Amino acid sequence: MITAMYIHLQGIKTALAERMAYRGDFFMSTFIMLIVEFLVPLVTYLIYANGASFPGWDMYEVLMVQAIFLLSRGIAFPFFFGMVWNTIERVREGTFDLILIKPRSVLHMAIVTGFDAEDVGKFFGGAILFIVSIVNVPFPGLLEWVTFLALFCVSLIVMFGFALILSGLGIVWIGNYRVYEIFFSVTNFGMYPASIFSKSIQTIITSILPIAMLGFIPASAMLGRPAEGTFFSVIISFVFLSICLLFWKTMLKRYTSAGG
Amino acid sequence: MVGGKVRHIEVLKATAFATYKEWAAYRSHMAVSLFVGPVFFLVQVFIWSAVYSTQSTVVGFNLEQMILYYGIASIINYLIYDSCDWNLQMLIRTGKFITFMLRPVSHCYFALCQKLGHRLLALWLEFIPVYLLFTFVFKINMLPANAFWALVSISLSFILVFLTNYCIGITGFWLTKTEGLRRAFLVMRDLCAGTLVPLTLFPGFMQRILFFLPFQYITYVPIRVFIGTYELAGIELSIPEIVGMQALAVIVMFFVYKILWYLGVKRFTGVGA
Repeated sequence: MITAMYIHLQGIKTALAERMAYRGDFFMSTFIMLIVEFLVPLVTYLIYANGASFPGWDMYEVLMVQAIFLLSRGIAFPFFFGMVWNTIERVREGTFDLILIKPRSVLHMAIVTGFDAEDVGKFFGGAILFIVSIVNVPFPGLLEWVTFLALFCVSLIVMFGFALILSGLGIVWIGNYRVYEIFFSVTNFGMYPASIFSKSIQTIITSILPIAMLGFIPASAMLGRPAEGTFFSVIISFVFLSICLLFWKTMLKRYTSAGG
Repeated sequence: MVGGKVRHIEVLKATAFATYKEWAAYRSHMAVSLFVGPVFFLVQVFIWSAVYSTQSTVVGFNLEQMILYYGIASIINYLIYDSCDWNLQMLIRTGKFITFMLRPVSHCYFALCQKLGHRLLALWLEFIPVYLLFTFVFKINMLPANAFWALVSISLSFILVFLTNYCIGITGFWLTKTEGLRRAFLVMRDLCAGTLVPLTLFPGFMQRILFFLPFQYITYVPIRVFIGTYELAGIELSIPEIVGMQALAVIVMFFVYKILWYLGVKRFTGVGA
């Protein structure tokens, strides 16, 4: 475990050192990542600023859903979601083989060598929005905080599941960076209160593909009005992770080393 | 003179065809749009349906018009999409650009021909299927108010996106790695062009600023021409007037490109080749 963490830290250190070769571009990219995170909340702000609203939700409650989603993505993207790009790039170039021959788990190496430093900006974007939201809603009690933190950890598990799917797809769908767009489009459902969607969509995002766990469910717990079927969604999230792991391993077996 | 034009057409045909063939090998990548576009659109339908459940109009748009706005924005994007900025900065950074300096055709023209070939492929792989999906599945009336002006406006937008992106690519002569600048520009462009929300949703003072920026001519103007009315910051213009202004923006952008190119290309040293 300690060795694994040491390797992980070395991966982060190397990625940062590499990125610092173009530090001007790095700082600008990080800042832009932060700004980009405000685009969806900006749309929400504009909707409310024009006198419209999402029925049953005030602006800061909706922003809370989006802040938690962005916070989850802000942790996932720099620390483990980079394995998606890393896998696609390496498979296309033919350098994925180098990971296979390392005396470590392939998955671990794909994560370690895929640390994305500039995505840290996403985390700060989410954190700023979270602070803005939390000071404008009734302050949550201890129970709400504990429930929220537990559900937030589950949201990271779901994020990891998505990273596994996209990375697995990258092994067989050579050079297709557009898998990110699939992720962004599907997870868009998690950035808004589930109540605005139809019943069938609500069922899908809570009980089949736990997208609501990325923002809506932890936010509802934080706001003191837990979403219906939260416990079931937690179980589904773990099932989802297991299926994703299985999928990734199956895709890895299908790797043909034909790149380069 | 005539010979030169014929040669240009030959270059256009050959480059566009080669790009088309090259990208056709990755057609499954482009086909991702068949999933992504409608899913993004579906989310917008739900968002705005919820918003309109409490009121009948928002900034002068009713629900049908708002959904139509996003539908048109989505399909126009398939026609005008461009990545010449990334290509150019990559060529400069890696030194591969040096081969273009030896070719008897300007890189800008070559890149425009590439875009044409790429978008021709997108026409049948992305635009037509999504257009049909929006029309028959989402039941949106996707017919332009005036086909001629819509076509002119989209064509001008096609060139304007290319020129603005190309100018971003040219900054590679100074910055070497322009990924950060490119991202900043894309964010600002999408926000100020009306891709994310109709520009009339912004506060009045912002609308007045946006009116004088070139970004509205990329998405907002083609959409409004498609719908058949134009209004921003309380200014209402006829369709020929706003398309005329769009043409003017293209001309201005062309001169900006020329100046940037003149200044930038002098700095190219071929390092990395």
